[in-house]
Amino acid sequence: MDQLSTNNNLNLPEDGDETKIVDVTFQYIVIRLGEEQYGIDISYVNNIVRMQRITRVPKVAPYLKGVINLRGEVLPVVSLRLKMGLDEDVFDKATRIIILKTENEGQIGIIVDEVKEVVTLSEKSIEKISHDNKSEKANFLSGVGKNNGELISILDLNMISLEDN
Amino acid sequence: MDVSQYLEIFLDETNEHLQNLNTQILELEQDPENSDTVNEIFRAAHSLKGMAGTMGYKRMQNLTHDMENVFSEVRNGNIKVQPEMIDVLFQCLDALQEYTDNIKNTADEGTNDNEPLIRQLNDILNNKGASGAPAAAPAQAPAAEKAEEASSDEPWYDINYDESQLSVLTEASKQGGKVYGIKVSVDPSCVLKAARAFLVVKAIEEKGELIVSNPNSQDLEDEKFESDFTLIVISDEPLENLIAAAKSVSEISDAVGKELDVTKLHSSETESEAEETPAAQTTAPAVAEAPKAAPAAAPAQGAAPAKAADKKPGKVAVKQTVRVDIEKLDSLMNLVSELITAKNSLVSASSSSEGNNSSFNEQIEYLESVTSNLHESVMKVRMVPIESTVNKFPRMIRDLQKQLGKKLEFYMTGEETELDRTVVDQIGDPIMHLLRNSADHGIESAEIRAQRGKPEAGSIFLDAYQDGNNVIIEVRDDGNGIDIEAVRAKGIERGVITPEQAAAMSDKEVINLLFNAGFSTAKKVTDVSGRGVGLDVVKSMIESLSGEVDVKSELGVGSTWTIRLPLTLAIIQALMVVVGGEKYAISLGSIQTIETIEKSDIKLVQNEEVINLRGTVIPLIRLNEVIETESHPIDENSLIVVIIKKGDKMAGLVIDELIGQQEIVIKPLGKYVKHVKFITGATILGDGEVALIFDANTLL
Repeated sequence: MDQLSTNNNLNLPEDGDETKIVDVTFQYIVIRLGEEQYGIDISYVNNIVRMQRITRVPKVAPYLKGVINLRGEVLPVVSLRLKMGLDEDVFDKATRIIILKTENEGQIGIIVDEVKEVVTLSEKSIEKISHDNKSEKANFLSGVGKNNGELISILDLNMISLEDN
Repeated sequence: MDVSQYLEIFLDETNEHLQNLNTQILELEQDPENSDTVNEIFRAAHSLKGMAGTMGYKRMQNLTHDMENVFSEVRNGNIKVQPEMIDVLFQCLDALQEYTDNIKNTADEGTNDNEPLIRQLNDILNNKGASGAPAAAPAQAPAAEKAEEASSDEPWYDINYDESQLSVLTEASKQGGKVYGIKVSVDPSCVLKAARAFLVVKAIEEKGELIVSNPNSQDLEDEKFESDFTLIVISDEPLENLIAAAKSVSEISDAVGKELDVTKLHSSETESEAEETPAAQTTAPAVAEAPKAAPAAAPAQGAAPAKAADKKPGKVAVKQTVRVDIEKLDSLMNLVSELITAKNSLVSASSSSEGNNSSFNEQIEYLESVTSNLHESVMKVRMVPIESTVNKFPRMIRDLQKQLGKKLEFYMTGEETELDRTVVDQIGDPIMHLLRNSADHGIESAEIRAQRGKPEAGSIFLDAYQDGNNVIIEVRDDGNGIDIEAVRAKGIERGVITPEQAAAMSDKEVINLLFNAGFSTAKKVTDVSGRGVGLDVVKSMIESLSGEVDVKSELGVGSTWTIRLPLTLAIIQALMVVVGGEKYAISLGSIQTIETIEKSDIKLVQNEEVINLRGTVIPLIRLNEVIETESHPIDENSLIVVIIKKGDKMAGLVIDELIGQQEIVIKPLGKYVKHVKFITGATILGDGEVALIFDANTLL
């Protein structure tokens, strides 16, 4: 993802390191949807808020749950579960809305089951996924990262963008 | 001098003056004898010239200078207004507009000297004898000619001397001093005329005694003169020395002089009083006075209305204005919005808290009235009359008339109607499209009009007025109207609709096809319109202003295009309702009444639910069906119906519950949810909850 490289941390090797490999790292917010963990590039995240009352908007796609009031601004909220073809959300204490800033559509909130932690992954540890193979779910992913033996699927945030609906 | 900081003001004022000139010259074309108009034009041209000069825009200054010369002659009655002259003047205005646009874009006026225009202006000036005098009434002709002669060659006989000046001059000439009149012409391109005049006066004063200057010394200092001024000097030196002294000053294009016969100078007193002035009494024989009185009277009359008009701006109550950056107003407006939201929170907090704290409620009510007034004031600040935008249209129609070879009459009403500044700025183009459309496609050719028994000149009307929370702008013509069958055929030909669809479409739907991109029924592509872009652009532009456009037409009789725009964009009065447990806002502007209807009163017409309300049959719209939710009415046997109206269409919206009236701040929903047609936006309620706003117009 080229557009990500703006926010990278360039970890230059220590003196005396003869290999001179430049390792690029990214930070991800790890969220939970059902049993699976996903990573969201932190540079896109503006805010994380608790679940709040969502005003339904009629005649829109089911995954567009409605709009919320975030400090005087009205933002659309998308169900990540429905967007990915999973079961309907069940809101509980752990449910959060992550406010993403997008280039074309302004701020959008996405509903996740839980926000777990922030991890730093090096570029090397992320395996890219090509979009033409595998299951439908793979279409939402840009890669899979390894963190302490756990696998974290990196969400491709372009999929949040508006489709023809 | 660095003038860049004045650039914005310069552009603003230049545009105002140009607009003013356009309007006034149009008026002059209708009424060539109107001296008020001529004076107004002269003043505007003069101010333009001054401003351009100050800013260092030489070409612009030259052109305005020559225009001003023409107006000056018109004002003095030396040139008659003629159609060709009006054409040239309009071309000049276009050229000036071009300069202004260049300046706006590049801070430079460009390099076009507009020599042909300047030549034409000079031709008008030079032909004044030929075109002006014969046209004047025979009785006035000799007087006019003499006045002209006097004003151009011997300006010293033009000056109205006061008694003391005359006595000084008479005294000096009696004692053998020579009295000279010197006319000094400043180079037209000279920027600092006042400074040049000062230098000339200084040079002359070294050689003799300056008695009178015309204009007076104060006006010379203030640069209140055209290209030349006149000095009356008493000196012992020969005239040549004085002339040479004057010419020694740079940027002085010419200086001519003459030794004066003091007896020929006239006083500022009127003729009847002339006998009382000693100078005139002693020196002027009664016989000689009669012919001289004529030239003296003529310029005096010419000058009189000018002077009166000059004073006019002082008499008219000038409104004090401040130019404010619109961004500052926007931020003020945002603050007012927040205040209203905060007030709404207080209101909902007070209504939910139990107990009788009436003083608290009183204060809340007070706060409510203050915020509404504040909102209204801020809104009013943003409101400007649409005049500034529509004023250019008479000129446009005039040009179209020549371009299209059709006779057009243009009527405009409601220029004073006010709209939000941002809307006024953007509404010009759509209106222009519609007017051009009417002129080109609407109004028939003269032959067809004659066949139909219509007057030869086609009429185009532009009416603006306020209607509730909306402003309506109507473009109307008495032309051909829309040929619905032609549109239908065109739609099929263009592949916009299939023949089956075409057959099923109502006339109204067919007319709406016109707003499709790339749809033009013009048989010929002309410069004026008919490039296939236009109506769709009109529509999208108006919709981007939250407005809508509609057309009514009768074949052979004419069309009416109606633009409906919301008065305010940000804060509205709305009715809050509940449907299926969800809160919605409906703009109060479109609501007629609220009715309670018994279920038994609902009738079915063509399988649609209608009610008969005081004799009017109104279709019912079940809002819960529109928004795809269950209805939970409070009372199973009756319905709460909100009657909405747009133009002459009405409908009844069935809701579950009424909450009440509230002032709401409209927030955009963002691109992500933009495609929901009947929702115009959202608002944040007192408790922080978001409610969607219904656009009742789209439901009709």
